[in-house]
This record gives sequence, C-alpha cells and structure tokens, in this order.
Amino acid sequence: MTNKADGEAVPQTRHGLAHSLEVASLRVPFRVKVALVWAVIAVLLAVAFTRSGFDVEWMIEKAPAIVKGAWVTVLFSVIAITGATLLALLGALGRVSRNPIAYGVSGFYTSFFRGTPLIVQLFLWYLALPQLAQGLLPQEYAQWFIWPAQVAGIVGIAFNYGAYMTEIFRSGIEAVPHGQSEAAEALGMSYRQRMRRVVLPQAARIVIPPTGNEFIAMIKDTALIGLLGTTLLWADPFRVAQLTGKADFRNLEALIVAALVYWGLTGIFSFFQRKLETRMSKGYVRTVPA
Amino acid sequence: MTEPMIRVRGLHKSFGALEVLKGIDIDIHPGEVVVLFGRSGSGKSTFLRCVNFLEEPTTGSVEVAGVEVSAGPPTRQRKSAIRDLRIRCGMVFQQFNLFPHMTVIENVMEAPLRVKGESTADVRDRALALLVDVGLDDKADEHPIRLSGGQQQRVAIARALAMQPQVMLFDEPTSALDPELIHEVLAVMKRLAETHSTTMVVVTHEMGFAREVADRMCFFHEGIIFEQGTPAEMFAQAREPETQRFLDAVI
Amino acid sequence: MGTTRRLSIAAALMLSGGLLAACGGGGGSATTSSEAAPESSSSSSSSSESASSEATESSEAAPAADGLLGQILETGTLRVATDPAYPPQSSYDEGTGEWQGFDIDVATEIATRMGVVVSWETPSWDVLTAGNWNDRWDVSVGSMSITDERAQVLDFTEPYYFTPAGLAVQEGSDITSIDQLSGKRIGVCGACTYEFYLNRTLAIPGFAFEFLVPEDVEIVTYDTDSTAIQDLKLGRVDAVMSAVPTLEEAVKKGKEIRLLGDPVFLEPLAVAADKSSSLPVDSLVAELNRIVTEMHEDGTLSELSMKWYGIDITKGPGA
Repeated sequence: MTNKADGEAVPQTRHGLAHSLEVASLRVPFRVKVALVWAVIAVLLAVAFTRSGFDVEWMIEKAPAIVKGAWVTVLFSVIAITGATLLALLGALGRVSRNPIAYGVSGFYTSFFRGTPLIVQLFLWYLALPQLAQGLLPQEYAQWFIWPAQVAGIVGIAFNYGAYMTEIFRSGIEAVPHGQSEAAEALGMSYRQRMRRVVLPQAARIVIPPTGNEFIAMIKDTALIGLLGTTLLWADPFRVAQLTGKADFRNLEALIVAALVYWGLTGIFSFFQRKLETRMSKGYVRTVPA
Repeated sequence: MTEPMIRVRGLHKSFGALEVLKGIDIDIHPGEVVVLFGRSGSGKSTFLRCVNFLEEPTTGSVEVAGVEVSAGPPTRQRKSAIRDLRIRCGMVFQQFNLFPHMTVIENVMEAPLRVKGESTADVRDRALALLVDVGLDDKADEHPIRLSGGQQQRVAIARALAMQPQVMLFDEPTSALDPELIHEVLAVMKRLAETHSTTMVVVTHEMGFAREVADRMCFFHEGIIFEQGTPAEMFAQAREPETQRFLDAVI
Repeated sequence: MGTTRRLSIAAALMLSGGLLAACGGGGGSATTSSEAAPESSSSSSSSSESASSEATESSEAAPAADGLLGQILETGTLRVATDPAYPPQSSYDEGTGEWQGFDIDVATEIATRMGVVVSWETPSWDVLTAGNWNDRWDVSVGSMSITDERAQVLDFTEPYYFTPAGLAVQEGSDITSIDQLSGKRIGVCGACTYEFYLNRTLAIPGFAFEFLVPEDVEIVTYDTDSTAIQDLKLGRVDAVMSAVPTLEEAVKKGKEIRLLGDPVFLEPLAVAADKSSSLPVDSLVAELNRIVTEMHEDGTLSELSMKWYGIDITKGPGA
C-alpha cells in the first residue's frame, strides 16, 4: 500500500507496475493517445455492428451509391450558403438601419425564419408558395414559383440560415468600433461608402469563422431536402439511403452508411474551418487602445 | 474685417433632458488657432462635434467656409449640405480611428478617391507628400497596427489634410498617447498652424501648446463659453475666478 | 424516422388542407365554370365529380384534346409520379439506371397507348396523396388505393389491380392466427389504407370491407411499410400489416418473418390525377379509364401481374 513513489506527484498507492506504466505513458504525446482512443472506439463500434446482425456486406455493396450523393450535399450547401450570406448581409444592414421599412422587414424576416421549424419552412416553399403564386398571379407567372423539390429545399435552407446569420452579421457590424464609422463620416463619406469601404470589410473578418460553422451545420440540414421527394439525380446521401434501404429492407444499414458520409463531410470541412479560423485570428487587431 | 471661416450662432445641444450646450455663439477667422478647454462635461467636445454635425445640434446654426447648416430634420438637401460642410472640415480624434484594414497610404487616399473622386495618381502624390510632412513616408505601406500611437495620430492628421480642408478640428488629439509620444503630434500641429496658417479649433489640455500656438483660448463651463481671450491674457490673469481655478489646476 | 414522418405529414396535410380551404380549391385568378368540359367522365372513382373540380383555363386555343390531356399530347410526355424504392411495384436500379416493376410497366403501357413517353417524378408519398400537386407531374401510377379522403383531392380511374393486404409476424412468433392479435402492437404505414383498415375507417366507394383484425390492437405508424417490417424484426411490434407482395418481398430479401393467415382484404389500386390541376383533368381521366379498361379486357394487366407477382391479382372481389 505504501509503495512510495519517488518525489513526484504520483499517488502514493500506486504499485510498481502501475507506476512504470504511468511513467511510460507520460512519454507518449497527448495527440497520439487521443488518436488511439478514437481508434479503439471505432474498432469497438465496428465489432458491435458486425456482431449484431447488421448486413455489413450490403452496406459495402451499397456504399458507393450513398457516397455518390455527397456531391449533391456539397453542391446544395455551397449554393445555400451563398444565398444565406447575401440574405444575412441584407438582413444585418436592415437590423442596423434607422429606416423603418428596412428595420421592420429584416425584423420580421429573422423572427419568422428563426421562430419556425426548418422542415415546416421547406414544405412551405415546396407546397404553399406555388399555391400563393397561383392565387395571386396570372398563370404564366405563377409557373415560375412551382419549383422542384431540390430548388425549394435550397431556397428554404438559404432563407432559414440567412435569418440566423443575420444576427451573426449584425453583431459583426456592431463589433466594429463606432469611431470607425465616425471617422469615415467626418471625411465626408456617405452611409453607403462608410458601410462598404470601412465597416463591412472589418465586420467580414469577424463573421467569417462563425459563417464557416453555419456551413458545417448546413451540410447536415440539407438532408431534410430529401423529405420533399427529390428526384434521384438530386438525391443526397440521406435520400439515397432511405430509398435503397427501403427497397432492400435494410433501412438501418443504409442510415449508418449515410451517417458516416455526413460525418466524413463535416470532418473535412471542420478541418478547413479550423485552418481558416487560425489564419483569421492572425490578422490585425483593434487599433483602439484599451 | 474678412468674413469669418467658422460662424456659430445660438447653438444648443441636449441629450434627452440633459442640456450640454446652452447657447454658443462664436466667429473664428481664417488662419486663427482657437484652443477650447474646460472640465470634462463642460461641453467643449460636444461643441466641436456639432461643428461638423457628428452630433446634431438641437437648435442653432453652423457656417463653415460659406456653407451654412441649421439644426433640423435630416432631409436629403440638408444631408448634402452637411457633406459639403464636412469636406471643408478635417477632424482628428482622440482615438485616431485609422482604418485597420487599410495601409497607411490607403487610409490617407481613401476619402479623396471615394468622396471627391479624384484620380489615383494625383491623390497618391499628395498623400505621399503629406506623409513626408508628418515624417512617416517610410511607413506608407504598413498597416496602422504596426505604428506607435504617436505615429498613428500623425497619419490621422495626414488623412484629414488629404481632403484639403479649410478648417481642422482636433478633439483631444494627445489624450490617448503615452507622454513621450505627445510632443511629436504637437510638433506636427504647430507646424500646421505656423507654416500653413491653417484655421484650427483644438480641444486640449496641453496648456504649453495653447500658450505657444493659440491665437485665442475659450474656457467652456456648464455649456457656455464662460470666458475667452488671448493666451497672454488668460495666463496672466483670467477675469473669472472659475477660469483661474481651472488654469491653476492644470498648469 | 418516426418523428420526421410525423412532421412532414403534418406539414403536408396542414398546408394542403389549410390552403385549399383558404383558397377555395385549386385557386385561379381566372376560374371558369367547368360545365364546359365536353366529355362527361364515366369514372366510377369519385362521388364528388367533375362538377366540383375547378378548371382554370389560361389558354383559349386548346388543340384537339383539351385540358391537361391536351397538354400531355402536345408535349408528348406523361409525367408520372411513382416511388423509386417500392419493389416489386416500382424501383429504380442505381446500377443500370433503369426503372422496373409492375407500376412501371403499367405506366409505360398507358403512355404507349396514348402515344407519348413517360418521365418519372419521385415525390414523397405524403405529398402525393395530399393532392394539390401544383402541376409538378400529371398522374400517379403508384399502387395508390382509392379512399374517400383521397378522392376529395384526387380523381381516380378504375382500379388497375387489387393488392391483397395481409399481416406478418416474426418467424418464431407464437401468434398463429389473426384473432390472437388482440391487444398486440401492429406496425403499419401512417395515413395509408392499412392504418385506415385497422382503425375500421377504411371506406372505398363501391367496395365493402370486413374488418377481421381485432378492434383492440395497438396501432404503431411508420413512414413506410419497410420501416415497420424492420421494427417487427427488432420486436418493437408484434405484427405488421402491409401489402402481401411487399411482405413476400421482405421474406425473399431475408427478413425473418412469416405471413399470418390469409389476406384480409383486396385493396383496389388506381391511377390518380390532381383535381386542383390548373388544367382540367376530366378528359385525361376519361382517357385513362378507357385505356385501363382496354388493358383489363385484352389481358395485358393479367400478363403483367403474372410477370411481377406470379399470380393474377387484377380481378376485383366478386369478379
């Protein structure tokens, strides 16, 4: 019991073997240990799944079709994040504006799209918008609002994320010290010039990392588009998994493959996101002394 | 007498119930250097910011180099008059407020390019000349963060001058600086006053600068110009005991 | 998956129902009286017939055939909504890129007899059955059973075949007859005929049903039959009700389940068109009826039934 360890902060109850193991362990870098932990978890999960009756052969056979859907996910996400960024920029300018119309519209926008479930919004774009258009517009114009599932889905996700990102962009704009805008104002710059040349470039640096996070979250949410019934050409991994799984009565196997695909995608983009964040934090710091 | 460069009439400014300026009337002549001083909260900075409408006066009017703007609602016409007026006023802030995402020379060139729409080549020549004047031409391509506070403030002065204003407004330009950096900024301001005969309105506690450079000193107290006179008069013997007490305290 | 299904169904129903009511159906700025429809449809499909289907005619100069039929003939394409993963009725082969199944063959034959080609659409089932298709596709050839509720929003043709509906239990289950299901949990697709059957609310004009499953079963709904069958294997439910071909397909694909007793009813399945279509569908439904009847009479449907199901299930009850 009282096998005393040599002067170090090692618990005194350690036996000789435990102690030497601990000393050996101290030489292994932390990152290597973490990697080992991950590997062990992965192996345990793989064993657990193969031993509990999941049809691994089927998963391997169908994996290529499900993985192929990843490009649809990336394409949807890239288009949607572009739209969301534009909407968020407009929304944020509205939120910081003194114009009652701009302020009111952007307030309504963020309130509604943050206050209702994304899946409901997707169905609204897909089903309710055509109905509204047909009710309000002549037939030839109403046709323009009858979108295929993937278009309605991308627009829906862009509007939803744009609403959340509006708040990110607004706080980004507000994080630019007021003196910046004031200095530009004193130089005779118009509101538009102050925003475009002085405030927004500085706000951009602030909002790029959180926008990257939104993109990663979006990658996962594009799976909801499949619920609208996208055609096979535009089927993302979840939709492909649903369909192939259903056809072969291998729903759970298909979903596991889909989960791995999404996990892989978010993993890849998280890696780039971290790089970006590090680069951004190396930029200039505020010129205003504390 | 020539027309005044700045003419302020009946200027009042309230923040809610708090009346900060209680009626300011002043004429400032071309080439004149006026130092505004007084306790914090006396209204001197608010007054300076009202001159170029960074603060909207509650009532009253301001005329700078022939452009007159009165207090009123922000109509399109009035907004453009305010812009005209601002183009005639350069302003230097306590916190410098350089644009951190632009280089030094870009900071200086920004307003002439965007506001006045001048050609890049002209503006670049002038900006470089101004940077030579303030002794920072070697820093033209640095970002402001790489500069000391004194250097940043000198760039800020060059940036204001690039618009070729007829009036320079200084809002406590040395208050945020470490003591050893103050003199380099004051030296630039002094040269500006003496060799370029620029009209200057300076809010400062630097009484040495006031004594050396100012043509007139205005003591702000409780929202009015309590007392004004030449530095010689002020430093010899202020008429008002209030002014004297303040001067005794700061010198 | 259960949650998403409920959400999407809720959304789809809420929208189609709510907005239909709000807009008075099919909403068109130029709503004209549909009395003008020339061929009075002989469809047995719905009691609330063409008189209630509002027609919105934007183009005056229609070709030989009018309404949606005219447009289909003009474009030469019949846009068919079907399920890409519902073998043996319909499925899409990722490998070959080909569609196959009974519904696929039926739809293709219908199009051929109309002189047009098929293009496939794959909306979700909830969206399809809720009607109000916004002209995204022309017809459903997707083994859809005719129900009173669906007939409110869709126009059905004569049935083109009849699916036997049955129950299945785990292979090792000690349940051996339908009577023993009393108090048990039964998995079923949500908002489909099997759920209505278990609820004893199934009503199809022209058909009468005998409700053979005990009334006190606990109904568990799923987004598709296939998920229900998956859960049967896990033991979350004691039995599953579905189409017999689907259950047999599951057995064939290695699910350890077995059919329980005989089929409990024959479900009439028909081609459907959307009542709220911006072009009138009366003439289309009449044409589809003509073709379906013809395919019944000349034995084409029986032949396809033998090909895909191994038995002829195109004859209705009492036929």
